[in-house]
Amino acid sequence: MYPFHSDTGRRNFLERFAKAVFGVSLLPSVRALGAHTPKNHAKAKSVIFLYMRGGISHIDTFDPKPGIPEMGGVNAIPTSADGVQISEWFPRMAKQMHHVSLVRSMTSTQGIHDQGTYLAHTSYVMTPTITHPSLGTWAVKQVGSPNRVLPGNILINGSPQHPRSGFMPTHLAPLPIVDPGAGLQNAALPPKTGETDFSRRTALAQAMGKGFVQGTPHRDAAAYLKVQQDAVALMKSEDLKVFDISRENPKVQAAYGTHTFGKGCLLARRLVESGVRFIEIEDAHNWDTHNDQVKSMEKMTPPTDQAMAALLEDLHQRGLLASTLVVMATEFGRTPQISNVTAGRGHHPAVFTWWFAGAGVKGGNVHGKSDGSGNHVQEKPVTMPDCNATIAQAMGIDLGQMEHSPSGRPFTVADKGKPVGELFA
Amino acid sequence: MANKQGYTLFATITTLKNTPSMYRVRNLFPILLLSFFGLFPLRQIQALEPPRFEKDILPILYHHCFACHSEKQAKPKGKLRLDCVDGIQSSGVVVPNKPDESELLKRVLLPHTEVEAMPPLKGGAQPLNASEKAILRQWIANGAKMDSWVRFDHRQTAFMQTDLANPKKNHQQWSVELQERIDQWHQARGTKLNPPVNDESFLRRVYLDVIGRIPSLGESTRFLESKNPDKRAKLIDELLASEGYVSHMFNWKADLLRLNTRGLSPGQPGKLYDDWVKEAIRSRMPYDAFVRKLVTASGQLWENGAVGFYVRDLGMPLDHMSNMSRIFLGTRMECAQCHDHPLEPINQKDFYQMVAFTFGVSNLGNPGGYSLENVKQFPEIKAKLASMKKDEALEQSISGTIAPMKRMTLDTDKKLTFPETYGYDTTLRGKLVEPRTLFGDEATIKDGDRRKAFAEWMTSPRNPRFAKNIANRLWKRVMGVGLIEPVDSLSALPNPTHAELMDFLTQMMVQLRFDERAFLAVLLNTRMYQSESVRETPEPGTAFALRGPQLRRLSAEQVWDSHLVLLVPDLDERKSTFQLSGVLDPKYLRKLTAMTADEIIAQARINQVEHARKRQISLRRAEQQKERAAALARGDTAEAQRLAVLHAKENKETADSNPKPESEGEITAKETDPRWKLLPPNLIRASETPLPLPLGHFLRQFGQSDRREIDAFNRDPNTTHSLALMNGDLTNRALADGSLLRRQLAASGLKDEFRTQLVYRAILVRSANADEIAITKNATQESKTPEQDVIWALLNSPEFLFNH
Repeated sequence: MYPFHSDTGRRNFLERFAKAVFGVSLLPSVRALGAHTPKNHAKAKSVIFLYMRGGISHIDTFDPKPGIPEMGGVNAIPTSADGVQISEWFPRMAKQMHHVSLVRSMTSTQGIHDQGTYLAHTSYVMTPTITHPSLGTWAVKQVGSPNRVLPGNILINGSPQHPRSGFMPTHLAPLPIVDPGAGLQNAALPPKTGETDFSRRTALAQAMGKGFVQGTPHRDAAAYLKVQQDAVALMKSEDLKVFDISRENPKVQAAYGTHTFGKGCLLARRLVESGVRFIEIEDAHNWDTHNDQVKSMEKMTPPTDQAMAALLEDLHQRGLLASTLVVMATEFGRTPQISNVTAGRGHHPAVFTWWFAGAGVKGGNVHGKSDGSGNHVQEKPVTMPDCNATIAQAMGIDLGQMEHSPSGRPFTVADKGKPVGELFA
Repeated sequence: MANKQGYTLFATITTLKNTPSMYRVRNLFPILLLSFFGLFPLRQIQALEPPRFEKDILPILYHHCFACHSEKQAKPKGKLRLDCVDGIQSSGVVVPNKPDESELLKRVLLPHTEVEAMPPLKGGAQPLNASEKAILRQWIANGAKMDSWVRFDHRQTAFMQTDLANPKKNHQQWSVELQERIDQWHQARGTKLNPPVNDESFLRRVYLDVIGRIPSLGESTRFLESKNPDKRAKLIDELLASEGYVSHMFNWKADLLRLNTRGLSPGQPGKLYDDWVKEAIRSRMPYDAFVRKLVTASGQLWENGAVGFYVRDLGMPLDHMSNMSRIFLGTRMECAQCHDHPLEPINQKDFYQMVAFTFGVSNLGNPGGYSLENVKQFPEIKAKLASMKKDEALEQSISGTIAPMKRMTLDTDKKLTFPETYGYDTTLRGKLVEPRTLFGDEATIKDGDRRKAFAEWMTSPRNPRFAKNIANRLWKRVMGVGLIEPVDSLSALPNPTHAELMDFLTQMMVQLRFDERAFLAVLLNTRMYQSESVRETPEPGTAFALRGPQLRRLSAEQVWDSHLVLLVPDLDERKSTFQLSGVLDPKYLRKLTAMTADEIIAQARINQVEHARKRQISLRRAEQQKERAAALARGDTAEAQRLAVLHAKENKETADSNPKPESEGEITAKETDPRWKLLPPNLIRASETPLPLPLGHFLRQFGQSDRREIDAFNRDPNTTHSLALMNGDLTNRALADGSLLRRQLAASGLKDEFRTQLVYRAILVRSANADEIAITKNATQESKTPEQDVIWALLNSPEFLFNH
């Protein structure tokens, strides 16, 4: 959970004190040998991480194999990128491909949802003895966020099993936005409460609270009185408005569409405009299409295609794309072979596709290849930790910087991942 | 230079716990900090008494040296052993009276950037802090005496029960004796208990600590107006015997065991494991029996809910042992899963030897998924299918039908071998691991039943850490801080401050035959528990000073449940209407397990038809949506409306009572009890609420554990908490005219100041003082909703969120 100002807990006090006096973070900085970051790789002021939950099929989206029977009669279409074709399910994205670098040679060893999702978000294999921090948490820990008032790490429509801040302090966990159409949860006065009532009540609560706090030196007592003041200030502040997508021009709202994912993408653009560092939006369509692949894609893809394309176009038009890294991720692909029984596709971690756009990433580019039927990696295998290393480096995070869990174990932002330099111009 | 200072700061803070109390001055940290600038001579903090070996030096050697220099290593580094007198003396690393000639001291004084510095950071060890270095120096300067110490016993001797000739008869006697010990502890230090609490404070505290919520208005009034001189003891007994106790204790066990109602494993309903734990608590199953049953559980989840213990860590026997060791033995071994533990003399071999006891437990079946053991019908099914025409769809349906059964938990012949990468003795690679206990007695394996032997060793009163672990954790539960902290780091070394008291509590746990409620009764009846709380922030590394319970924030569950007291009558009786149905219904699963091969094939056909039917409905709905969307796209709203009506009629006829495919097998039935019919289904106690919960849920916001990891809860203040309390659903419901709280207040017939007092009692479980009455009167003078104002203000006061 994320307080809007850092709390004055002992740990933070020590960290800030240490930084001020010694100019270092508290823990010994034992660096692994890491590559330096070329200047053109560290341009991302913000990251928008689009997570397709369930394992979205690669040959039905961004790595089609025109003409083979496995395509199930679905065609490929040309795009705004020379020589690059994508699935006919994504006509709007086809017009945005000149911004995009496709990584068609993703590969993973984790073929189960929980484990695959965990690896995608943390770069570590899931284990029941520790929870690793997600990439957004690493980001705010290592490089903070341009906007000092808004939380730097936000999760829109996130899964209950999201690893969030893992073993790192909870104030670095992503602020959850459950319904992007509803703004910040509980930030509006209840229906029958007027401003006068509210002022009276908060004043009374503060007066009551003072008495308790005076007799209670425990720092959390005072902290709770303070967060109430912060909450009241937040409710009145201009910053809150960024969460209200209804303030956006109706044409723009329509461009993104009314699906939760679309609204989430619109909210993300607004947050990026306000200088929020890391925003993840989960697309909660059931991409885990074990049944009726073609019919499911037909139903699910239009709002997703619309939202993604609108986001890239909007960011580009506003001049934000150059400093915003947009990533589409998923836990695995789907088997090219369609099942006779269910007409669906199973899990397929052997090869799948992520894509990158913005922040200096090459446009109209394809990195890596899968084989002719989309079964295996043919060229330049890339792992999820590699991608996370790429994203981290784009934000200017030191890949070799070690952080320790409370039990003393050392970790880095992307474990053994190596950044894919070729994605950048 | 900056790095070194920052580094030493880290070492100071995180190893503060190793500093003996006599050297610990208030705010040691700034003194040490300043000493780095040469502004405060270290000599000032040296005490008057010379260091004693076992009390002051041994812990340093244990935490910083034994991981490489003890009998635990096949080849101690540099052939140096520091865990016995011979090792220390024969090596010459310590020259009595000459600290500057002692290699031991020289090496620990080297800056960590030097290759020869000890302990080496590269190995992951924690270097000594300035205080520890000073103590070492002093000890050597004073002759490096080791008194009567000979060697360190890594295996720890068995725990010996004492005082068996004089068993206490009831918990009141135990309470008196416990309090005597606490009083003696204070006497020796010239400290004392805080003043005793009044009835109001006791009332609120004991409800929260025993049944996890504040008392209702009726419960408060009954207790506060009672004139019975024994009312406190009686209340303690009542609460410990109540259903509310089960709810609160369940939350605690659930965090430790990582229970997850709907997230155990696909096809394995976690609710069955949840229910088993609840029933174990309700039926007063003794703690040792509880653990034995979990460790030795076999069978299907719907036959024996306890196998959830193994299903939870499906396919991960090494991690399973790490977790088991942490929660039942207070010993964190997970580092040693992959390499020798860098901070303790537990090595990878030790770890593997422990795993060898439970490694043979499997719930994955054979690589094909099915074996005679878990699906006894399988060979016959296979034979029948071979004799029929190939029907891929039927085969898939059969596979899906019997899938839950393959997760049966049972003992197999699987044997653990040392990994091919085992680095400490290459001759062991690939060899069988012989099971061996980590400490205390050896385990005697009879009839090859490793789990039984392991369970007996673990839960025996003789186990050096089993009773101690639960005693310490239960102490923490009601006192707020363990005698030993952190509670999952019990060590082979005696605790410097509380060794005797800890021993007494351990003796008590054993003599009470692991009855958790009786143990709690003893603690709750002490004067210490009934003293004013310690209201300062606890300092990490500082031993608990036993003045009274530690003030702390309520758990997410306690906050939620306390709100519900104001909204739901007979809260403890309200259970969830969440039910398992269809393929997750235990009745169906039990039937399935007993079916013949023919019956299973028939059932598979039924499931196939049902699945196809649901699929048709799903496809038809998608088509309907397309038709309506097309009409709207054409601008033909009339047609769209016509279609909507037509589709609604059509859907009613093919009504599907089962919910979405993702939640197949789970339904929430309608509430029928008149007390709660008009309340939403989610207003039930946290222990009743099926997990996982979405991120925006009140319980998640306030830090409920996601049960992914042990004790993954969080209690840090956060702005979102305040937003929820100010503008959220629970507060709005409490304020509403028809809420339970408002109706109770109205029914009282009280007015003005007396009414305000009642609100205070209902929410903060105390009376308002004169100032508070004046402030409220003043603030609500012009208000049209004075009562709601006060309720709101009290619910939003920090006081509500703390156990004080």
